[in-house]
Amino acid sequence: MKNKINKWINGIAVAGIITLAAASCTSPGGQSNNQAAQPGKDTVYIAGMKFKPAELWINQWDTVVWINNDIVAHDVTEFPDKTWSSDSIQPGQSWEKDFGDSVDYFCSIHPTMHGKIMIRK
Amino acid sequence: MNTLKSIMKWTGAAAVCLLFFSSTAWSQSKLTDPEIASVAVTANQIDVNYGKIAVKKSKSPEIRKFAETMIKDHTDIIKQAVALATKLHVTPKTNATTKSLLEGEKKTTKLLNSKKGKAFDKAYIDNEVAYHKAVINAVQNVLIPDSQNQELKDLLTKVMPLLNSHLQMAENTQAEIQGK
Ligand SMILES: [Cu+2]
Repeated sequence: MKNKINKWINGIAVAGIITLAAASCTSPGGQSNNQAAQPGKDTVYIAGMKFKPAELWINQWDTVVWINNDIVAHDVTEFPDKTWSSDSIQPGQSWEKDFGDSVDYFCSIHPTMHGKIMIRK
Repeated sequence: MNTLKSIMKWTGAAAVCLLFFSSTAWSQSKLTDPEIASVAVTANQIDVNYGKIAVKKSKSPEIRKFAETMIKDHTDIIKQAVALATKLHVTPKTNATTKSLLEGEKKTTKLLNSKKGKAFDKAYIDNEVAYHKAVINAVQNVLIPDSQNQELKDLLTKVMPLLNSHLQMAENTQAEIQGK
């Protein structure tokens, strides 16, 4: 029993560290860096009914990966016109898309959840 | 496996419920983990059942969409609660709180079944707002503080943002259908 609980606590701790690391990798407020913009991968975690970070700055044509760490299914849908949408992303599953332009999105299942992808200039 | 079976049996028996909880629905004495598991599964199943009534009776796209989300999300929570109970060898135990939840469900179901059209939509969404408020209050002030097992406490804690979001969605839907 103790073992199980420890394992579980470790799991949570690891998830927390990953989330923190992800958050700290996001450059605040769209600062551009000096390196040439290589298309890369950026991650948005879905947990506790939130997109984290809610505002993500990326280089143009970077791939954004959404990882659902929450307890229910969510989706990622363009806001407000729903011009594109992921299907349901089940807990533990992920979905990705490239972006040439900044965009607002939301979860069409839970319209209280909103996020933004911003392109660094 | 036995645990799973007994939960299934138990929710089956519970299968007709809902109405919002009166404050007296929550027992004064501390709940044990098996009792908390029973309350959690019942409270979720009740909202699934209300959602099924709404999908069957309502013609409003806003109400139907909200109800479908309630069915999906609360079914997901039940699955996780059952999986955790099975893993921890906790057999959900019926108690005064689950019984009063089920009595509430009976009354609410009767009320919902007696209404049609816009009156039904209003009764359903008003109940969803009240029910989520009551459940949020109970999870926060009774179930989380009373639970002994850390994993159970954690699952309940993880459910809170979802319940808060459901409440906000219910209130938004309530506003949307007003004046329609
Ligand atoms: Cu969602």
